[in-house]
Amino acid sequence: MKQIQRDYVFLAVLAAVVFGVTAWGGLPIWYLNLILLCLFGGIFYAVRSWHDRAFYLACAGVPLIIACCVMSTWMGLVSVWMVAGIVCNAMGILEISDDIRIFILFCGATVPVALVVQVSNHVVLPLLIFVAGTAVILAVQAVRDHQFRKQYGAHP
Amino acid sequence: MRRCAQGLSLIIILLVSGAYILDDMVLLLAAGTLLCGLLGQYLLFEYRFRSIVTSVTVQRSLERSQVRKGTTLRVSTKVTVTVPPSMHARITERLSPQVVVQDGDTTLPVEPDPNPRTYQFRYRITPVVHGKMRVSGISLFVQNVFFSHEIDLSSHQFSGPDLIVQPVGIFEPSGKRTTAESREVEKLKVVRGFGIRALREYYAGDDLRHIDWKLSAKHNKLYIREYTGMVNLPPLIIVDLPWRGAPFPQADLARMVSVVAGMAEHSIRSYQFVSLLVISGSNIIHFYREEKNLQQCMSVLREWMHPVERVAHQYHTLDRAEVRAEIRHLETVILQGGNPGILHFSDTLRKHYSSVLVHMRAPAFTGQVARTFSSLAIDECYLFSLGCGDASHIHQLIRQAKIADVMMHIRLPGAIISSRLPEDQNYQSANTVEAFA
Repeated sequence: MKQIQRDYVFLAVLAAVVFGVTAWGGLPIWYLNLILLCLFGGIFYAVRSWHDRAFYLACAGVPLIIACCVMSTWMGLVSVWMVAGIVCNAMGILEISDDIRIFILFCGATVPVALVVQVSNHVVLPLLIFVAGTAVILAVQAVRDHQFRKQYGAHP
Repeated sequence: MRRCAQGLSLIIILLVSGAYILDDMVLLLAAGTLLCGLLGQYLLFEYRFRSIVTSVTVQRSLERSQVRKGTTLRVSTKVTVTVPPSMHARITERLSPQVVVQDGDTTLPVEPDPNPRTYQFRYRITPVVHGKMRVSGISLFVQNVFFSHEIDLSSHQFSGPDLIVQPVGIFEPSGKRTTAESREVEKLKVVRGFGIRALREYYAGDDLRHIDWKLSAKHNKLYIREYTGMVNLPPLIIVDLPWRGAPFPQADLARMVSVVAGMAEHSIRSYQFVSLLVISGSNIIHFYREEKNLQQCMSVLREWMHPVERVAHQYHTLDRAEVRAEIRHLETVILQGGNPGILHFSDTLRKHYSSVLVHMRAPAFTGQVARTFSSLAIDECYLFSLGCGDASHIHQLIRQAKIADVMMHIRLPGAIISSRLPEDQNYQSANTVEAFA
């Protein structure tokens, strides 16, 4: 599948999710979701040749994700996957089978995140879990990186 | 972390802050998924970065392993590396600050390719500080759209080989200074010259006036200038007279006698004496040691400067070192194998040379020249010859001069220089070979 075809697939699924959530939620400001979707599509089109387009797409995608999550956590999660797919596709990191496998791994890794958020009543506990997990991963990586550099950078 | 990843981190921080302040789980979900994605990209980048580093192999070769300071030499480095797709790398040679790159590239971009690819650096360097120097490895810069890393690969498999840089080089003046009675030599002497023959570290007791302050400030270590020495030794003049039994150019002989007379006169006027060795082929005709009287010297030249009868002749005579070199060459040919006929011939010739070598003695001429050089305080000599006939004795003269650490300057007729010199091995090891005016 070519890059542009993947973009259409992700955008189509994202649009379907947004339309579905909007119709299912029945909010009085239903048009907001559609405006955010159009905004995301417009920015996606506008920044297609920019260098750091991942950042702009993320900036445009986050309000849309939040809007979807307000309706339903799981629909919001699907929108996260679609936006992530579009961003990865735009950055050219969804070209080979390894990249697709990693993308699926990312989708799987976000499910526990959504589950933690779903079962929690307040922000503090899940926030602590995320921060602690990130800190541990970064600390382990820092130690490994130091050892790695020592091995290859040491003078005989 | 690149600009894109920095922007995403900022979004995460804003979302987390908002989620904490507003106690909003939706914002936390958005922040958590973004954090998950960014962290995953970081771990993936680290994994690929390590795989790139472990795939690197370096083969580096220097044109020479030992050079003089200021000499330019070529360096060739082959780097084999595997860079996975979506990653970009750049390799830079980490050179010692003791060298200056003259030309060529020391940085190469590496394109992503799932198979190992070999890249080659070719450049030339000039060492500017003497001592032992080692190319300290390579620097590898890797980046993808989110992250970038740089690592200095300086362990044993990436660094080397050693380069020994001898003193003397760019600080040395191109021409040696000479005054009326003395000239500079690259040796330590009591009387020092003006040129700098080397720079070295300061040792206790060195003259503080010789400190090179500029170099010392640069390296935060005291460096001393070693100056050239001054000598006032006259050169030994060797005249190779032609054989009476063979034709020779009369005009060249007359010109040679004129030049020798002029040089002897200059030597006596500048250095107060001259030493003159008259030979003809491998026969020593006459030797004047430290003659101070100009009139006497001229009368001697008038007496001897004509063709003489040679008692001993040499015709392409090899000495022991040359025979040994021939044997080594033949042994190499035999080891390499090939045509059986050539191998048989080489083996026969080797056996012949070996049997000759056992009974070989140094010619009498070689011993006489060695004794002459050892009895004189000289550091250079001028050999005047017409270049007629065999030049084996000249080769032996040059060899003995090298052994005695005496510079040998050969002066030949211009016609010989232009016609015979390029293919004649006998003259090639002399310090200078020029035509006498």
